[in-house]
Amino acid sequence: AGKAHRLSTEEREQLLPNVRAVGWNEVEGRDAIFKEFHFKDFNRAFGFMTRVALQAEKLDHHPEWFNVYNKVHITLSTHECGGLSERDINLASFIEQVAASLS
Amino acid sequence: MVSKLSHLQVELLGALLESGLTKETLIKALSEVEPYVLQSESQRAINALQTEKGEPCPDIPNLPNGMGESRLSEDETSDDGEEFTPPIMKELENLSPEEAAHQKTVVDRLLQEDPWRVAKMVKSYLQQHNIPQREVVDTTGLNQSHLSQHLNKGTPMKTQKRAALYTWYVRKQREVAQQFTHAGQGILTEEPMGDDLPTKKGRRNRFKWGPASQQILFQAYERQKNPSKEEREALVEECNRAECIQRGVSPSQAQGLGSNLVTEVRVYNWFANRRKEEAFRHKLAMDTFSGPQPTSAPPLTPHNSSSLQPPSALSPSKVHGVRYNQQPASEAESSSSNHHGNSSMVTTQTILHQVSPPGLEPSQNLLSTDTKLVSAPGGTLPPVSTLTALHSLEQNPHALSQQTQNLIMASLPGVMAIGAGETSSLAPAFTNTGASTLVIGLASTQPQSVPVINSMGSSLTTLQPVQFSQQLHPSYQQPLMQQVQSHINQSPFMATMAQIQNPHALYGPKSEVAQYTHTGLLPQTMVITDTANLSALTNLTPTKQAFTSDSETHTESGMHTPVSQAPTIHLQNQDTTIQHLQPGPRLTSSPAVSSSSLVLYQSSDSANSHSQLLPSTHNVIETFISTQMASSTQ
Repeated sequence: AGKAHRLSTEEREQLLPNVRAVGWNEVEGRDAIFKEFHFKDFNRAFGFMTRVALQAEKLDHHPEWFNVYNKVHITLSTHECGGLSERDINLASFIEQVAASLS
Repeated sequence: MVSKLSHLQVELLGALLESGLTKETLIKALSEVEPYVLQSESQRAINALQTEKGEPCPDIPNLPNGMGESRLSEDETSDDGEEFTPPIMKELENLSPEEAAHQKTVVDRLLQEDPWRVAKMVKSYLQQHNIPQREVVDTTGLNQSHLSQHLNKGTPMKTQKRAALYTWYVRKQREVAQQFTHAGQGILTEEPMGDDLPTKKGRRNRFKWGPASQQILFQAYERQKNPSKEEREALVEECNRAECIQRGVSPSQAQGLGSNLVTEVRVYNWFANRRKEEAFRHKLAMDTFSGPQPTSAPPLTPHNSSSLQPPSALSPSKVHGVRYNQQPASEAESSSSNHHGNSSMVTTQTILHQVSPPGLEPSQNLLSTDTKLVSAPGGTLPPVSTLTALHSLEQNPHALSQQTQNLIMASLPGVMAIGAGETSSLAPAFTNTGASTLVIGLASTQPQSVPVINSMGSSLTTLQPVQFSQQLHPSYQQPLMQQVQSHINQSPFMATMAQIQNPHALYGPKSEVAQYTHTGLLPQTMVITDTANLSALTNLTPTKQAFTSDSETHTESGMHTPVSQAPTIHLQNQDTTIQHLQPGPRLTSSPAVSSSSLVLYQSSDSANSHSQLLPSTHNVIETFISTQMASSTQ
């Protein structure tokens, strides 16, 4: 897994814009990022989740998520540092990749 | 195409694949990791996926049975192979071309040979590897009865079916070879051996004891009925080694035994079952004993002597049974005519009686008196517990003469002569001046009287003939003490046989015997409880035992012979416990047996190492002939 230290201000300035650009938003009240995904149907949504899950296991960094039928809400944050870390950014990137391939 | 996969499944599979799984890995994983989970659909899915991917997978078993041996050695897939043509034939498709071709040629060659000869080969292979026929039937689709007849009797079998059989045979050999070479490689490799197919009954074939292992176990059982964990583990090793050798494989590849691998648990269970068997035999003997009264002399109903090893009748070498030396084996045998048969049984009973005339004058009396063994069956049981006269070894067999029928239980301090005597009454405690030999008069008594045992009923018969070698007698001049009391319990049982002559007599060494002479106590006490199975002939160290006969009134005390040291043989009718006679200081004390079991004690030196008392829990007394005894009896 990547580093679990909380992102410093500089790092945030560096990395967050990238994910923000693809639709990730910062959550109010906590140091986390969030995005909603929509898919054509449940199968695809769950296929997406499966892929993400496999990767999460590999990275040992898991998302907080919610799924209803074809929608998936994902919140990323790092528990160990109590905020955003590199791991979240990495996972977000991966999620984007997967989502793109599925859409 | 995706055919029968749902979209989600496809998605999931896709996800899996995209996560870095190679197809190969996935396929292997499917077979190996989830053997029990795989359903035929998944197999098809695999195929579908592969097809989708455009890659044929010849190794994947088309057969839901998952007999894809070629690459995957296990077959865990579901077994709906029955829908298909004999699964085994299908497997051919799964093999790589060369393998398939090779197998075909071998099969063809076999088909051309003499079917009976090939059948013998196949059969011996099955025996060697302890493969159940069921496995063959499941994979070949042959009819079990037909298969059995073909293999055992040569009943003709059509070529097509023989082809299936030979194909199975060839394949199985390969599997087994693989199995053994991959011995330590885990469960997967064991599967093929365990069951070719995920049988409906379960995954693996039922474990079966091989003859080699059984032999080892029986020998160990003789030595000790209740092995400790370490001993069991040692036996495990030994058995596995033997099984491997039997199969022509190096012992280090024991894992290749698969479902027939011996483990401590199995060894433990084996011992437990043997002990229960004994108890059961004893119980049956008791039943028979107390049941139908023997009409004729031999009260012994042939109790399952068969359960005991078929008597080589008096053969002292019998390991499993009671071995008695019988002096007049022939006599015994004749008397046992009644027995359904086991002359051995009779002899056994007679054995109890060893009488050596000389020296036992008093004992003779006893014997003559009686050995009145309580012969329950015959209804001739004396009211009083009949103690078989103790006959010293020297005593005349004749003295005992017919007393056999009953068990003579000598409660005495040590001498119990169990003499089969017709008269059931045993002489009241005999005090033997001489060696107190509890002679189980059986030996000398006429056959019918298989004394002690008789009363016990057939149970005694079950005991392997206790062979008290008459030969022993001469060597021992020592008079055994005959303290035998004549209390011999009637029927029920307790025939305690006081010593069987010199304990050592049985065992052979004369010197030992000599020692006993002096003991007032019976050097050997044979306690037979429960008549039934004089299964135990143990070296008794005579223990004092009170012998109680259930029906009889004798109290233990009554039974005691005056001899102070005389071991008392305590027999309890009711539960026919066997008590050990304790001849005296020299004798080692043996624990009382509480259940009705006959324990034969051979008084022996304190050094006697053979005393083996069967736990009272079992009604069956097993006589173990100590090695000494065995030798002497030879």
